[in-house]
Order: sequence, then structure tokens, then C-alpha cells
Amino acid sequence: MTIADTEVLTGAPRARVNWTPYLLVVPTLAFLSVFFIYPMAQAISLAVTDPSTGALTWAHFRRMSSDLYFGQAVRFTLIITAIAIPLQVALGLAIALLVNTRFRGHTMFLYLTALPIGISDLAAGMIWLSILTERGYLNAALQRLGLIEQPVVFLTVERPEWLLAAIILTELWRATAIVMVILLAGLQLIPKDYAETAAVFGAGRWQTARHVILPLLRPSLQTALIIRTILAFQLFATVVTLAGRQIPVLAGETYFWYSLYRSPSVASAYAVLILLLSASITWIYLYVFAPKAGEVRL
Amino acid sequence: MRSLRLASLLGVTMLVFGAGAALSAPAQEVVFTSNQFTPVTEQEWARNTLLPKFTEETGIRVQFTTENEGPYVDRLLAEIKAGKGTIDVTGTLHGIFPVFIASNAIADMTPVQQRLDARRDRTFFPDLLKVSKMEGIQAFVPWMQATYLIAARKDALKYFPAGRDPMRMTYDDLLQWGESIKKATGQRRIGFPAGPRGLYGRFLHGYVYPSFTGSQVKRFKSAEAVEMWRYLRHLWGVTHPSSFTYEFMAQPLLLGEVWVAWDHIARILPALQERPNDFVVLPSPAGPKGRSFLSVIVGLGIPKTADNPDLGERLIEYLTRPSTQVITAQGVAFFPVSPEAAKAAPTGGLKVVADGVSAQAGAPDGRTALLPVGLGARTGEFVPLYVDTFRRVAIQGEDIQKVLADQGAKLDELYRATNAPCAPPDPPQRPCVPD
Repeated sequence: MTIADTEVLTGAPRARVNWTPYLLVVPTLAFLSVFFIYPMAQAISLAVTDPSTGALTWAHFRRMSSDLYFGQAVRFTLIITAIAIPLQVALGLAIALLVNTRFRGHTMFLYLTALPIGISDLAAGMIWLSILTERGYLNAALQRLGLIEQPVVFLTVERPEWLLAAIILTELWRATAIVMVILLAGLQLIPKDYAETAAVFGAGRWQTARHVILPLLRPSLQTALIIRTILAFQLFATVVTLAGRQIPVLAGETYFWYSLYRSPSVASAYAVLILLLSASITWIYLYVFAPKAGEVRL
Repeated sequence: MRSLRLASLLGVTMLVFGAGAALSAPAQEVVFTSNQFTPVTEQEWARNTLLPKFTEETGIRVQFTTENEGPYVDRLLAEIKAGKGTIDVTGTLHGIFPVFIASNAIADMTPVQQRLDARRDRTFFPDLLKVSKMEGIQAFVPWMQATYLIAARKDALKYFPAGRDPMRMTYDDLLQWGESIKKATGQRRIGFPAGPRGLYGRFLHGYVYPSFTGSQVKRFKSAEAVEMWRYLRHLWGVTHPSSFTYEFMAQPLLLGEVWVAWDHIARILPALQERPNDFVVLPSPAGPKGRSFLSVIVGLGIPKTADNPDLGERLIEYLTRPSTQVITAQGVAFFPVSPEAAKAAPTGGLKVVADGVSAQAGAPDGRTALLPVGLGARTGEFVPLYVDTFRRVAIQGEDIQKVLADQGAKLDELYRATNAPCAPPDPPQRPCVPD
């Protein structure tokens, strides 16, 4: 009798489902389904169906891949991503480590370097356009200093590498701060004890950073890389502002096929391609950064 | 994704505020959409100058939305598909109306036109009324018209070929002009709006093509066309190499990056308004087949699903009134569609424009080209075909004949698939295909 009673008592809370966490995620799930999953499904269906008959077709993907700008858009998107992201991570890490030393005035410095986060990509493009254009600030300064006689045309079709450099520079200025903030948050989660222990064992500053801090920072690095890479595939406004369509990128082509050619189907095909690229790169990051067996994670 | 998120946020905000406004103000409202007046300064002008006068007079509020062509057309067609609409009046290029007609989206404006005519306070230029009738209905009431011209700094005129008249400029004059500027200053000072949202494509199909070949589509691959593309390669050599970022030529003109620019008058006007004494407006150049220019006609229509077609008609009455047409010309340099309004004497920057327009329209070798109609849902593919051709020939340096054969085949497919007729100056044959 008594034994049965205790069984009931201990068994009852186990059987009751705690609904609170599910209730808490419902608004997010609802938001995601209405504004992300539903449009995504619609975009995929637009990309693979014939608008007049509704039959399945690859025609939009064929049209996309045979377009004059397609090959260049894929190439330039990958080039910009491959150059800008390692630079952003390196710079972001350097700034985060510097801020984390808590030198005098580091909060002021942090706010200043984080400022570009608040600026939209289009505005960032405009700012750098006003610097780099023929009658821009850079030429004015160089002329004032007597370094050049005539203004230099930096943004010219004859020099695609300059256009590319201008875009990467703008992206560095605009988006390094996001990487820095994520990494700084990660750094501040690492207890000081690790670094102190390393110092006790005679590790120098570089050795501590390389063998203690960096491995512990891996989850933050993973987040920063995933976010930055996905955003890099969506890169659009800065490129269009600085280089028009001379440096085509995937997100830009998506926009042009929708708004200029008025072809939602081919635009959706581009969107699906961007989705596939982002998803596969994210998967690679998750795979590469997966914790090895027996590793300490914070 | 990000813009989607932004758009949804905006949608929610609009819902909240819209609902609030509806509860507090039972006043009548008319919804007016357009793909004109998209530049911010023009939007501001429409909201602060053009439309408040109408609200003052009638007590009807105007909810004015202007968007780029894509979203603009989609919104109207989506309302038709849903069978329930909010748009009461819509104003757009005459070349877009066939898209609406193809979806049976707009009402026949003949009764509206009759009531406007019965007021006896305005008439419309007959050629514009002719253009407004398509597929057996009157698709729109003419609202405004525009064209594209050359604006130049006055001090650049000293480099204009000696003994030639800028008001009767030819394409050779333009090239020589650019070459002598380059020789004297080392800089390429001719500019075109070849940016992604610039209107350079209009220069290709409506100006230079008909001026060299007498045709927009039929003689696309002709020997004259090959000659023309050779010319454009030379012209690109004296064109500012940042032209691919330009969308409105007023800005580079004011900055001094460009001294001679071709663009839509509304996109040049800000420069003329700021410094009317520094610039001249010249007609577009003439080629071997005449001085071709595009006549841009903007009309007002009423969607079949309009909630308040009567209020819409009142707005149309206001917008096409001669006094409103004069205000419109002064504000944004879209020219009147009524002879009564055209008589008003322009001043300042607008006077400079008007001189250029009349030199272009009144030239003995002038030839009007019209925007293509009848391509339906594929209208948006027409202009990029020309711009891509330019990119391949002038920038990537590909073989002209090969590029023309490739692009000509695409033009051929486009016109056959839509069975569209040729636009002037081509003969009205259907489908219009390159020879």
C-alpha cells in the first residue's frame, strides 16, 4: 500500500509534460513559418514550375545558367567571399583581442569600431562612392597634398580589379564589426583561469592565444563565419552602388531578374541557388568545427 | 531575405497605422499608384505640392505609392487576380498598359474621356489620344509626356566641332566633341546613364538604332547596325568610364565629372534648376537615317477592381487640368498633353529644357520612335537585350556580327512568342522580327 503510494507520487510529475518551453517558441515558429518557410517554399515552387502550365520544368535554371551575367556572378560572389571573409575574421579577431586587454579607453574604442554595424549596406556603399568617385574625397585629398595633378578615376570598367578592391574595402569597413562583436562576446566567456594557468606553465602571449584561447573560441568563430558567409552570398547594395552591374553578384542578379526583366521564375532560380550555396557552406562549417572526441567545450 | 524581413516589418507597421488612421478619419480616400516619380525628390514634390492641392479642393485624401516597374505591375495584377482591389487610379508609361490589358485588368476609359471632353476646359493632343487606344479600348487618359535630351555645360561648347551647330548636332559631331575634350583635358567627359537603373537602354533602341538604321527591331542585324556598333565603340572611348554607375545624370553634371550628358529630362532637370545659367539643353543627335527620339507618354487608368472609381475619376480630372499640367511641367519637367497648358511660358531651368525639346521635336529630320507595346508579361526583357548587346560589343570587345546574330535570335524568339507588332519607326507588322 505504502509502496504503491510512493510510486504514484514519484510517477505523476514525470508523466506531466511541461508545455512552457513549447509555448515560448510558438511565436518564433509562427513568425518563421509565415515570413520564411512559406515564402521559401513558394520561391522553390516558382523556380521549378512553368508559370503558364504549372508543370515541373528546369527551364528557369537553364535560362539562368545561359545568361550573360551568370558565370561572372558566380565567380565574383565566390571571389569576394573568399577574400573578404578571411580578412574580416582576422581583423575582427585582432580587434576583439585588443579590446579584451581592456586598455585605457577600450570602451570608447569598442563603440567607434562597432559604429558601422548601424549603417545599412546601401548607405555604406554611398559613403564609399562619395570617397572613391572622380570628384570624391580621396581625389580631393590627394590633390590637396600635391600627390596627383589630375583626379584619378578609381571606379572604371577598364580596371575590374580596382572595382573589386573598392567593394572588398567597403565590406571590410562595414561588416568586420559584426565579427568582432561576436568574437568579443566569446572571449569574455572564457574564464581568466585558463590564461593564467598557461602563464604558470610558461606559455608566452602568442602560445596562449594559439593553443588556449583560439580552441576555446571555436564556437564563436563558427557562428561568426556562418553569419558572415550567408550575408556575403546576399551581398548586393554595396556592389551595385560602387560597380553597377560591371561586377555582377548572385543576389544582384536575383534582384535584376525580378525587377528589371520581370521574371519572378528566373529570380527564384537564383534565390534557390543562393540558398543551396549558403546551406552547403554552413554544413561544411558545422562539420569542420564539430568538437573532436574528448574536447573541452565551454 | 533581409529585404523580405524589412518588407514584412513595413507591412505590419502600415497595417497598424492604416487601421488607426481608418478609425480616426472617416474622410474619403483615393489610392493612386504609379511607377513614375520614383526619385525621392519627385516623390516629395508629388506628396507636398501636386496632391495636397487636390485634397484642399475636394477633401479627398490621396494615398500615393510609387514603386519601380516590377513591384508596381505585380501589385496591380495581384489585386486583379484576387478579384478585390484597393487601387483607384494608376499612372504609368503607355508601354505598360498592354501588360494590364493582357490580364483584363483595366477599365475602358472612353466614358471618362467623354466626360472630360464635355467640360470643354481642356483638349488633348490628337496623336496622344491615338496612342491611348489599344486592343479596342481606350486604355488611359493622357497625363504627361517626356523625352530624352543632351545637357551640356556651357563652357564645354568651345570644344564643339568648329563651324557646326550644336542645335543640329549629328552623331559624328558628338564623337568629335568628346574627342576634342579628351585631347584638350585628357579626360573622357561624355556621360551616359549606363548604371543598372539608368536609362541607357532607351538610348540604344530608341535613339541611336533608328537614327542609324531607321528601325528599332527589323534592321537589328543589318549592315547599318554593324556600322552603328562600330561607332558606339568609338563613342565609348570618349565616355566617362564611371558611366556604369550613373543612374541620374544631374549628379555627375553638377559635380563636373561629366560635361555632356544624355538622359531623361526629369533626370537632368535638378542640375538645370540648381544652375540654370551654366547648362544648355541640346537635341539628341542625328544619324544617317534622321534624328530619332523617343516620345514617352504617361497615362492614367482605372483598374477594374477599383474600390472608388468615381473618386479616381475626380483625381484624373484634377491631374489633367491645364493648370495642373503647368505645375507638373515646372516641378518635374514632364511636359503637358494639352495644347492649353503647352502655351504657358516656361521659365528658368525649364526654359532651357523647353528650347532643347522644341529643337528636337521641331527638327526637319526629326523622327519619333515609340516604346514597344504588346510584349505583355515579357516587356521587361526588351531593353536588357540591347544593353547586353552593348556590353558584349563595346566593353567585352566581342565580334559585332556574332553578337548581333546571338542577340537577334533572342529578339526574334521574344517577338514570335508574344506575337507583338513593331513599334514606330518600324512598319506595324506582327510579329515584329529582325530581318
